[in-house]
Amino acid sequence: MELAEKRAGADSINAIRAIVGDERIRTAKADLYVYGFDAGMHCNIPDAVVRPRTAEEISQILKLANERNFAVVPRGAGTALCGHAIPIAGGVVLDLQGMNRIKEINPGDLLCVAEPGVVCDDLNAALKKYRFFIPGPASSEAATIGGMAATNASGDKALKYGAMRDYVLGMQAVMPTGEIVRFGTRTLKNASGYQMEKLFIGMEGTLGIITEITLKMAPLPEKTAACIAAFKELVEAGQTVSDIIAAPIFPAQLEIMSDICVKAVNKATGLGLPECGGFLLIACDGHPEQVKDEIRKVKEICEKNKAFFLDFTEDPKRIEELWKGRKQMLASLSVLKPEFSTIMLADDMAVPISKVPDAVKGFLEIQDKYDIYIPPYGHAGDGNLHTKVLLDTENPDHWHQAEKAVREIYDLVLKLGGTVTGEHGVAISKAEYFFIERADSIPFMRAIKRALDPNNILNPYKIFDWDKSFLHNLRYPVQLAGKEKAN
Amino acid sequence: MGEKYSDLQKLKNETLNCTMCGFCKNVCPVFLDVGWDTGSPRGRMTMAYGLITGELEPDDDLVNRIFQCTQCRDCWRRCPGKTKCPDVVLAARRELVRRGKAAASQMTVMQNIRNTGNIFADLDVEFPIQEGDAPLFIGCQHLSRTNSTKKNIRLLQSLGVSPRIVREVCCGFPLEVMGFEEEREKQVEKLKKAFPVNDNTILTFCPGCKVHLEKIFGREVRHVLQEINDRLAPDKIAKPVNAKITYHDPCDLSRGAKITKEPREILKKIGCEIIEMKHVKESSRCCGGGGGILTWDAAMSDRLGLARMEEAIATGAEMLVTACPTCEQSLKKAARAAADKSGAKPMPVYHIMDLLFRAVR
Repeated sequence: MELAEKRAGADSINAIRAIVGDERIRTAKADLYVYGFDAGMHCNIPDAVVRPRTAEEISQILKLANERNFAVVPRGAGTALCGHAIPIAGGVVLDLQGMNRIKEINPGDLLCVAEPGVVCDDLNAALKKYRFFIPGPASSEAATIGGMAATNASGDKALKYGAMRDYVLGMQAVMPTGEIVRFGTRTLKNASGYQMEKLFIGMEGTLGIITEITLKMAPLPEKTAACIAAFKELVEAGQTVSDIIAAPIFPAQLEIMSDICVKAVNKATGLGLPECGGFLLIACDGHPEQVKDEIRKVKEICEKNKAFFLDFTEDPKRIEELWKGRKQMLASLSVLKPEFSTIMLADDMAVPISKVPDAVKGFLEIQDKYDIYIPPYGHAGDGNLHTKVLLDTENPDHWHQAEKAVREIYDLVLKLGGTVTGEHGVAISKAEYFFIERADSIPFMRAIKRALDPNNILNPYKIFDWDKSFLHNLRYPVQLAGKEKAN
Repeated sequence: MGEKYSDLQKLKNETLNCTMCGFCKNVCPVFLDVGWDTGSPRGRMTMAYGLITGELEPDDDLVNRIFQCTQCRDCWRRCPGKTKCPDVVLAARRELVRRGKAAASQMTVMQNIRNTGNIFADLDVEFPIQEGDAPLFIGCQHLSRTNSTKKNIRLLQSLGVSPRIVREVCCGFPLEVMGFEEEREKQVEKLKKAFPVNDNTILTFCPGCKVHLEKIFGREVRHVLQEINDRLAPDKIAKPVNAKITYHDPCDLSRGAKITKEPREILKKIGCEIIEMKHVKESSRCCGGGGGILTWDAAMSDRLGLARMEEAIATGAEMLVTACPTCEQSLKKAARAAADKSGAKPMPVYHIMDLLFRAVR
């Protein structure tokens, strides 16, 4: 698809100003520039940034966008990693962080209702008083629940507690053509026609704008205990993961880290993890007796797979420290080689759990072949693996090497029966390989998009409509032949 | 490539290594106040990057965002990659000041220091000059409170400290945070002449001065609370305060100098029960007085102070105690604003030295 810009002209901007008022629209260059970036590796500059407060305001803006053919890109905290919030065709960014009211917490109905701009950790702080929570991603202290729903976010608790799709019961949304609708219910079960609220999970802001979410809550576990295990080889850690699941044991969290990741976390946090080829961080939660039994079995499986270091803790402070270290892995990697940057490439593949050892072994071989840093880590318990590429962002050769390595990583993942993205989404950076993975379903996804957004104004040119390499519109100061920024 | 920003260029890797994770946003008092990403540390890093690449010009909006930072450094504490966001902001300020972007109010402070040696342009500063062992740097803020400074010195003497006090000049810290690099360098030279040091421990009353003097002299400068805590024995307490208090950690003392334990130990020794606020110690929140925000954007300064004061009031404590003269001033103002808003009496705000003076015989 040709990338035709969908800019908002001065008349459109003035019309939006009339809807939201002067205080909630920005067109200053500095604002536009900042909102041209998110936590991914791309950028493009919008024409205006707007902070709506109500579904009605959003509805009016979307009707205007259809009339005048400008793009509208919803944005939460801007923590998505694949270019979701990048206004790739220009237009208007809707910053939803100001819609941040928790409207209802209803333990009797096992649900809560909140606006999309509520930060995940803020919601959990409020739910904690009632002994409930929702599982969040590693970015939970910044990420908003609207963005989490729109990307089907999950994190290190997905194995036992599921992903965002398992928590959204219903929502209010504004359709691309401006209608304000309610999808789903306030009931835990619902067989009432098409599950439209589920269709909106993972739609990446392309099918509508979520303005209110009804979420199921999970009970806070009575007790949590953690086990850390170090192995000489990463594949031994990978095999341990598979054996734990097959036992069967469902830990609340089951994380794997490679040697580089352990070094990075130690350097950034001073956690003092044992240096090793492969490292596992395992947490079991629930009733105290069940936790005790699961941890005992986990330790036995680690020993069987030649763990040379095993430690166990029930101290909530130590457990929090360990997971904090893991949660900041992405940024920690950037302290390992300050002259290199951590780039979101091949960042969240998922493979069938039994294929985790094959996947990590393959990633390390690809790393050695291309002589670049591709440290593997991830939520191995649910087969979701991460790699990040460390490179000199101004060196075109590094980018080209990375491009080849990423291609091989995705080839391997698909060969193993996996997916190119387990939790971060497609947007721009995964699109090229998503085409391979989902070739037969893309025409139907596209048909839905065309039916709901006939003028293609809502977050256009993402997922199946991004037909270029991920090296386009990079935010880094590197010139790659034929792949300069669009503006 | 736009104009050459030599100071910023040196920190280009910092801007590139920022992974934009956004963990800095919800700890930044300015972002929490303005709500726009442009007001967040991540936003400031992005704007600095734009200046370096020449994609952004230093227009009024950008300049405003760069100078709104309170230099509380909580973004740096929270940053998983330990990206030097506050240093990038300071580098950007130096570049912008060189291009004539300083506000008139900040120019006034700079000229005050240049012309009179103190931030208030006070030509009649009463220096309590005396001979002694420990070079004591009092600081502009404390010098402007003649009576309390005299009491503070008596307190130190009663604990066996022999302070040496000279006709000091401003250490230049305000010039650094506002980006007046050339003037800061000149002021540092004036300071070294006016405040000769010996081998004895250098002491200071002011958290900001402590951090800056250490940079200048390349050695430890003790905050007086460290010295006092070491010397304050139970038999020195004549009149315990016996109050439920909450303690506000000044940014330069907690995140800057890593001093959070000593003031709390002192407060307990003099009979205070401490009820902690939500954000304390290394995660303390700005009082609204840091990083030049008082002179750059007084209205924002007031809002940040009010937010902090409301956190203090929520503890139910009888009074708020702090250890920085600027925090004390900001929070006293905020206490009045909070009282106007709620109709209740203003929460009393004290400098810890004032409570100490009353408690120690």
